[in-house]
Amino acid sequence: MFEEIKEHGMEKLAESGLLERLEKLKKAGMEKISETSLPHDLQTVRANLLGRKGEVTEVLKSVGQAAPELRKVLGQAANEVKDILSQAIEQRNEELINSTSSFEGAADITLPGTDFTAGGLHPITQMCYDLNDAFRSLGFEVFSEPEITSELYAFDNLNFAPEHPARESMDTYWLKGHDEERGAKRLCLRPHLTGASVRYLQKHGAPARFVYPGRVFRNETTDARHERAFFQYEALIVDKDFSFASGKVLVKTILDKIFGTDVEVRMRVGFFPFVEPGFEIDMRCLVCGGEGCKVCKHVGWIEVMPGGTPHPNVLRAAGLDPAVWSGFYINIGLDRLVMMRYGVDDVRLFHSADLRFLNQFK
Amino acid sequence: MKLSLNWIKKYVDLPEDLTMEKLAYDLTMCTVEVEEVTDLSESLGGLAVGKIITVEPHPDADKLRICTVDVGDMVPSTIVCGGINLAPGQLTIVGKPGAMVRWHGAGDPVEIKPAKLRGVMSYGMICSSGEIGLEELFPVSREAEIMDITEFAAEPGSSAADALGLNDIILEIDNKSLTNRPDLWGHYGMARELAAIYGCRLMPLEKASIPEYSGDLSVVIEAPDRCPRYAAVTFKNIKNIPSPFELKSMIWRVGMRPINLPVDITNYVMLATGQPTHGFDKNHIKGSIHIRTAREDEKLELLDGEILDLTVSDLVIADEKSPVALAGIMGGKLDSILDDTEEIILEVANFTAMGVRRTAQRFDIRTEASSRFEKSIEPQRVDGALAVAVNMFKEYFPESEITGFADEYPLPLKNSEVEVPLSFLSRRLGKDLTAEEVIMILDNLGFKTAVKEGILHVTAPSWRSTGDISLPDDILEEVARLMGYENFDLIPPAVILEKPINQRTVEMERSIREYLAFRCGMQEIFTYPWTEDEYIEASCLDTKEMLSLSTPPSPEESRLRSSLIPGMMKGVFTNLRYFDSFRIFELTQVFADKNYHSINDPAEKLPEMARHLAGAFVGTDPRLLFRQAKGVLEHMHRAVHMEALGFEQMTKPQWADDKLWLNVMYDEKPIGSIGLISLKSARRAGIKRSMTVLFEIDVEILHPLASRQNRYTRLPEYPCVDFDLSVVFDEKVTWAEIYETASKVELVREVRFIDEYRGQQAGEGKKSVSFRIRICSDEGTLNSEKIEMITRQMIKKMSKKLGGDVRGA
Repeated sequence: MFEEIKEHGMEKLAESGLLERLEKLKKAGMEKISETSLPHDLQTVRANLLGRKGEVTEVLKSVGQAAPELRKVLGQAANEVKDILSQAIEQRNEELINSTSSFEGAADITLPGTDFTAGGLHPITQMCYDLNDAFRSLGFEVFSEPEITSELYAFDNLNFAPEHPARESMDTYWLKGHDEERGAKRLCLRPHLTGASVRYLQKHGAPARFVYPGRVFRNETTDARHERAFFQYEALIVDKDFSFASGKVLVKTILDKIFGTDVEVRMRVGFFPFVEPGFEIDMRCLVCGGEGCKVCKHVGWIEVMPGGTPHPNVLRAAGLDPAVWSGFYINIGLDRLVMMRYGVDDVRLFHSADLRFLNQFK
Repeated sequence: MKLSLNWIKKYVDLPEDLTMEKLAYDLTMCTVEVEEVTDLSESLGGLAVGKIITVEPHPDADKLRICTVDVGDMVPSTIVCGGINLAPGQLTIVGKPGAMVRWHGAGDPVEIKPAKLRGVMSYGMICSSGEIGLEELFPVSREAEIMDITEFAAEPGSSAADALGLNDIILEIDNKSLTNRPDLWGHYGMARELAAIYGCRLMPLEKASIPEYSGDLSVVIEAPDRCPRYAAVTFKNIKNIPSPFELKSMIWRVGMRPINLPVDITNYVMLATGQPTHGFDKNHIKGSIHIRTAREDEKLELLDGEILDLTVSDLVIADEKSPVALAGIMGGKLDSILDDTEEIILEVANFTAMGVRRTAQRFDIRTEASSRFEKSIEPQRVDGALAVAVNMFKEYFPESEITGFADEYPLPLKNSEVEVPLSFLSRRLGKDLTAEEVIMILDNLGFKTAVKEGILHVTAPSWRSTGDISLPDDILEEVARLMGYENFDLIPPAVILEKPINQRTVEMERSIREYLAFRCGMQEIFTYPWTEDEYIEASCLDTKEMLSLSTPPSPEESRLRSSLIPGMMKGVFTNLRYFDSFRIFELTQVFADKNYHSINDPAEKLPEMARHLAGAFVGTDPRLLFRQAKGVLEHMHRAVHMEALGFEQMTKPQWADDKLWLNVMYDEKPIGSIGLISLKSARRAGIKRSMTVLFEIDVEILHPLASRQNRYTRLPEYPCVDFDLSVVFDEKVTWAEIYETASKVELVREVRFIDEYRGQQAGEGKKSVSFRIRICSDEGTLNSEKIEMITRQMIKKMSKKLGGDVRGA
């Protein structure tokens, strides 16, 4: 366009110096824009050039005072510079937004995340609830009996022989003041959960399927593997002519839930007073896959729980006819399972209330 | 229990292709758990017989010798050795270079290498018995004695295990799995079981001829209910000499220490038949043998030197004067086999399980004998044991002579009989069985079976008749285990669709726990039900209604908790060592010696047991901690489907501070409390430098609602306006009053506490309370005049009703 003006040979125009000023403004403006590195500063640059009192605006304003024949050309030239600068600012603004942070200063992204103030459930409660969910999805009820029970429910109903050593105070925590009593009148902290099964069956009858997790108590010398108070998880199905082979379902439900994989199990002979036949249930060692390793003592199998068909005397105690009803018990030590799950090496930590331990399971 | 495979094989022809792995596996699956299988020759691996040719002194060491030893190679080896009994011609055990040897018969094998000893090269090592785990078989009389096996006449270079006849496999059985199988507590019993598993031939146990006369031996059983049978034989011309190696080695390999020939014979008999026996020195027994209960004040010194104060419930073997043995458990020190014993009385008797167990427990003595009697042995086993014993005495003491015999058997044991319908077995096993199959299995196990109209009449052998077999289910187990549990298919139970399980109480307990853990930032803990006296005292609990344990874990922990507060205090104390601010809770049962009631059997009266919930908030600001704890209870009903909890001051819990406590109300009744631990209680519980607010409520009383009860409130149509006020009040003005007054002002929708301030700026006896007020109108947007008007109204009411002084007003 400047060429065009020159062609017109308008000396006056040159004399006015406006064109030169525009030329300078454009050059300086473009430099400034490209130098600006913050979106905020760019706004200042825009105001200085194109704002109400901006330099380009001033030129535009002065066009009116120019000679009338020059006004059109000058106006066009000034507007052209305004558009160019405006576009450049816009473009620079885009660039800056794309490449600039929202805040100033440096940041250390390796700082730890802030802590959340959540508490947590005891690892045994967590395991217990996991199992409850699994069993409830199979239609089992969750039942519990009080922690104080009687010899009748702890032993007599469960076919423990009158002289069975578990009845001794060496094994069971009897309540003071009941030492001379027997049966229903002799109270103790429950030594196992199985007594609860008879309580449930007496009330609900058969068929039945239920779990009854809880804490049990044994008079023992404690060490890293032995506790006086510990948790068990027991499940029982009672049905007509329930074959022990079907009991494997209970076993697999527990193990598949805990280990999250299809666990191979085997049942072998085991003896417990309240079952006949009784089983020790082993699972294929997950560490070595059955090849034999330290964990499974080189046999490829790990003993995980006892189980079996309720003894006829137990069913009778529950008011059920053993000729009609049969079923399957399994009982698993929750402490041991949790120890296996997390690699805990001292069972006494579960009752320690030590938050250094418990905080690890949040 | 350890078993020698060679010993078992004396009684049974096992299948020729049977591997050890298979045997251990089958035994584990069908009968008892095999915990470990050890190859004895492996523990002596790498060791060979060496014949010493020359013994020369070492030029640079007084205690070392330079020997040339024939170890079966072309050239004899030079071995430097410090043994003091080295002699040319002697046979010994040598570890050759390159051999992998397990020192002391255990651990990982170590390679033997040639080494220079004081400048002389030594190619191998001559062993002492201790170095290779054989010290019990080859006891050393002096230090630095090497093993002398000259009497074995073995070829130099042959393996040590071969030379010593120790090529055997030892099975270790888990004793727990043997509890109900007294018949398996011996090699013969296990051989019988294996014969049944593999259907192979079992040799009959040997017989012996015992003269019928009793000589001067007389036995009187005074307590036949505890001693159903007592047999005794006297032998003369017996000597207390060491046993021949073969006998020693048999009992050693299954874990018993060889002692002397007569004692080793008694132990051998027990290991073979499972029947314990005992030998007395006949010269020490005055008059007849009495099996009787002990008398008050009688004492007995046992073989291990312990002196027992006997009680009238202990069964003893006694002569005319005093007890000489604790029946079925251990012999007396003075009258058992002694160094100079020449004539012995061998006891082969049957004692009932319960008596032996009680006495063993009372004195805390467990012996090989007592652990066998405790399992209940059949009296018939005496016959076999007697025969083995008599034959052994005759064999090992050819000049011995039986001088007396007695066999009192007042209480014979009848064989168990069971009737089992064949259909029962088929139904319960989920498999069709024929009578022939079942009879064959039972026959292998020694059961006699007759079939009549589909019913099996089964008679158990004597060795399975002491309680183990009595029901059809027992027969079912026998059949199933020998068929192999693995051979029954998994039959999933048929699923019946029922109504969904809805257990509100169970769910409520879980939602309380999850609310506290996941919403309130509290960590669940478990504590013991027995409570330490120290914390009972700190909790100021009344011990009158607390239950106690008969044999508590410790004298200070005899009481069962009636409250969770002591456990909480202990939990706080424990964690203050590592943390200065935390929140914990426990939900479990507490007990009280009252309100006895029946839940099943009317004869059974159980004490009051209720589930309690307790929590602790630990930190520095008591008022804030109190508010935090209160907030947790206040909002509980929002997560747990229950009516909201309320708060009132009725009775202060004894452990609480005078200034900060409340009772927790539910259904207009107090169900617990919340409070700051008083200085006194904190001191007693050892809680220092920290503030603790505790709460405890009775969860048993809470009634789970069928569903959530809160309702939705419509969102306001016009925007609401919030403004904050800080008002200085007298200390005695409560938030409840401020709240009530503020709420009554026109258009006020919400009044929320922000904080309170005490200090110089507020003035003595004063506090500044800040709160936020929200005003809303249903008629239109609030203009500034309206807002100002309400603010003025609010300030006026605070001042007029409560004496509040609004800052900047």
